[in-house]
Amino acid sequence: MFDKLRSFIDKIKPDFVAGGKFGWLQSTFEAFETFAFTPNTVTKRGSHVRDGVDMKRAMITVVIALVPALLFGMWNIGFQTSLNSMDWPYELGTAASWWYCLWFGFLRMLPLIVVSYVVGLGIEFMFAQIRHHEVNEGYLVTGLIIPMIVPVTTPLWQLALAVAFAVVIGKEVFGGSGMNFLNPALVARAFLFFSYPTHMSGDSVWIAADLWGTDAIAGATPLGELAAGSWPSDTALDMFIGIVTGSTCETSVIAILLGAIVLLVSGIGSWRIMLSVVLGGGIMGLLFNLIGANSYMQLPFYYHYLMGGFAFGAVFMATDPVTSAQTNAGKWIYGLLIGVFAVLLRVLNPAYPEGMMLSILLMNCFAPLIDHCVVSRNIKRRERRGSAVENTRKEVVR
Amino acid sequence: MIKIKKGLDLPIEGVADCRVSDARDIALYAVKPTDYVGLVPRLLVAEGDKVSAGDALFCDKNDVSLRFVAPVNGEVCAVVRGEKRKLLAVVVKADGSQVQRPAEAPVAVDGDLKQRMLDAGLWSLLRQRPFGTVANPAGKAKAIVVSCFDSAPLAPDYDFALQGRERELCDGLEALASLTEGTVFVTFRPGQRLAKVVEQHVASHQKRVSVQYFEGPHPAGNVGTQIACLCPINKGETVWTMTAQDVAVLGDWLHTGVYHPERMVAVAGPQTKNPHYYRVIAGACVESIVEAQVLNPAYPMLDGGMKAEGVRVVSGNVLSGEQIAPDGYLGAYDSLLTFLPEGDYYDFMGWLLPGFNKHSFSRTFASGFVPRCMGGLYQMLPEFMRPKFDTNLHGGVRPLVFTGNFERVFPFDIYPLQLLKACIIGDIELMEKLGIYEVEPEDFALCEYIDPSKTDIQPIVRQALETLRKEAL
Repeated sequence: MFDKLRSFIDKIKPDFVAGGKFGWLQSTFEAFETFAFTPNTVTKRGSHVRDGVDMKRAMITVVIALVPALLFGMWNIGFQTSLNSMDWPYELGTAASWWYCLWFGFLRMLPLIVVSYVVGLGIEFMFAQIRHHEVNEGYLVTGLIIPMIVPVTTPLWQLALAVAFAVVIGKEVFGGSGMNFLNPALVARAFLFFSYPTHMSGDSVWIAADLWGTDAIAGATPLGELAAGSWPSDTALDMFIGIVTGSTCETSVIAILLGAIVLLVSGIGSWRIMLSVVLGGGIMGLLFNLIGANSYMQLPFYYHYLMGGFAFGAVFMATDPVTSAQTNAGKWIYGLLIGVFAVLLRVLNPAYPEGMMLSILLMNCFAPLIDHCVVSRNIKRRERRGSAVENTRKEVVR
Repeated sequence: MIKIKKGLDLPIEGVADCRVSDARDIALYAVKPTDYVGLVPRLLVAEGDKVSAGDALFCDKNDVSLRFVAPVNGEVCAVVRGEKRKLLAVVVKADGSQVQRPAEAPVAVDGDLKQRMLDAGLWSLLRQRPFGTVANPAGKAKAIVVSCFDSAPLAPDYDFALQGRERELCDGLEALASLTEGTVFVTFRPGQRLAKVVEQHVASHQKRVSVQYFEGPHPAGNVGTQIACLCPINKGETVWTMTAQDVAVLGDWLHTGVYHPERMVAVAGPQTKNPHYYRVIAGACVESIVEAQVLNPAYPMLDGGMKAEGVRVVSGNVLSGEQIAPDGYLGAYDSLLTFLPEGDYYDFMGWLLPGFNKHSFSRTFASGFVPRCMGGLYQMLPEFMRPKFDTNLHGGVRPLVFTGNFERVFPFDIYPLQLLKACIIGDIELMEKLGIYEVEPEDFALCEYIDPSKTDIQPIVRQALETLRKEAL
């Protein structure tokens, strides 16, 4: 079967190269060809052997890491509706209800994912075509993350607009994947947050009322409750498992931790960033505990890890290799500050119940500066070493 | 002892056994100006000229005292030129006559040694950092580094390759010490047999030769790594290097006064019938070795099940060696010939399948979960789990996206990604600040190997260094 597919591709290939009948579709054709077969290119200059890993493999590893959170998120969409809806067709707690939760969530998530991929990849293919580049795999991850961090009731047209904005303004104007300085998924989230605040925050966006449409059931998230000045009604364990209201797939810390394990074992995600975000959040949380001026400040610091998008952001968004700091020392500083600012924003600014998004975007902007400082130290060290030698030489001459 | 932690050993099959075949009867030899970085050659012979070993074939146009000499007695049978009449090689056909070896005509090791090395054509064995060119005879070296072990994949074992030439090695080291006011560092792995011999010699002669030990994965054996640990290069400084086998050639010349560049070459790699050593003269034509040693049947391929044809002949190691034609010639400084299967096959869903035999520094393939410390035990794995190496790029070229990986295989106090980016944009000032003078392309070879964006890093670094070198002229 592989041989037949291969010979079919080889047969139609001449039409798709420059000058062929469909020459203008070259990048698109290449994207699909390399999807089916890793190309037969051999090394020409430089090292004769190369590592098995390529951008596709690296990106698909991240997608695999997202799967536990995605599956749990789907189930939780259904579960939240089943708890709050009057006309849930199954008795709560039964196996049938459990499976229907997953099916319900799957049907709710599917349009979001499809819209995100169709719009985003469409733009990516267009830009690749215009620039005569190969299509970059970066959007495989971004396109899945975006529907995972919005409320389930987000209207599809808003999502489409946000995706288009994120891909064009967040990425392509800078030259595509690898050149952007803001995390595109968070750009989409921020676009939605500031353009359609009523659809993105408040109490009545988190729980889908029924299988279709944007109707929602009122139900506050733990962060929303805290911002309103009350204590979260969910237990820490509920929040750890993820059976609480929130954005589609970011509620379950357990599922996100599974993803973190995949990223860390494969070496794709940076352990320095993950650890330092957690440390930064913890330090800030403890500081507020010391102050303890209001109930939010008295909240045990580990609650911050369990609520909202902290865990998801630390594992999947802060670690984006393009927009994070690129030096190892820089990664520590970058991560620590993300954690600090996320908790700071949460506690001190009730207008933005979730600080993680803004905190990561802020540090994305500062990542180049952090790197600059770290690299400058290296440069200074080298200069000192050089001038020390220079001085001894002069003394010898004297 | 200095311990290198960052690095990577590639478990490639076909390590050379400690056996020797004599191939000193090979007829054709070439001296290739392209082996010497930045050399602009001036041809001194014509086709048909008779030459003896040590006669100059061409010299450096910018410094005529730098001569590149015939390795054997014979006749110039071809002057190979490429585009724009660029001189690619001068081929000498050996007449089989032995070089006349005077009974004992030792060359004195004194202040005049440099001039005599230049006259005899031995100076070209000495290279300098920065830039990787032949050492500038007018320059001064703050140190000379000789690595007596090679950590590259399939590299020859110098304990074996230099067996019986220990005296020459020690005398060569002594001679090198008279070329510099600084130290001659000679480096070994702990426990090397050769190290004891050299250490004893050094102890009894009190020259400025310092024996150093390095432990750890590749690139621990690269002189670049060792220089970074022992005597980092600052702007304006120069460090010279010579391969251990060439030091032995130098020592031999000191005894006999005759240039006899004999060399043990490991013939190795997955496509080799009987990987073992050949005793050859430098610049030998590899045709007869290729005929005798290359395995031709299609190499068993990766998960996709497709097969590739053809073998790549590499002079040097698979990370930074030079591809040569099957009837090509050994590189001037190389003591390794690698036969590697070409990888021009399509790999069905290569990015999705588990990949038990795809080697990767990351753990994104099933192969990543086979313990890395296995060393020679890879042979014991079932066939489908043994890592297969070929010349496939394993993916498409992409922008540099991932960070933090290069640092794990780059044992320098340098930010590799930042330096690489400075090289790409050609910012000379920034390159200098980030430490370009301390590196050679081969130091970036592992970064290039593990890079998921498949960027050809070594050519970028070489080009940047050439830009700087021309600026400095």
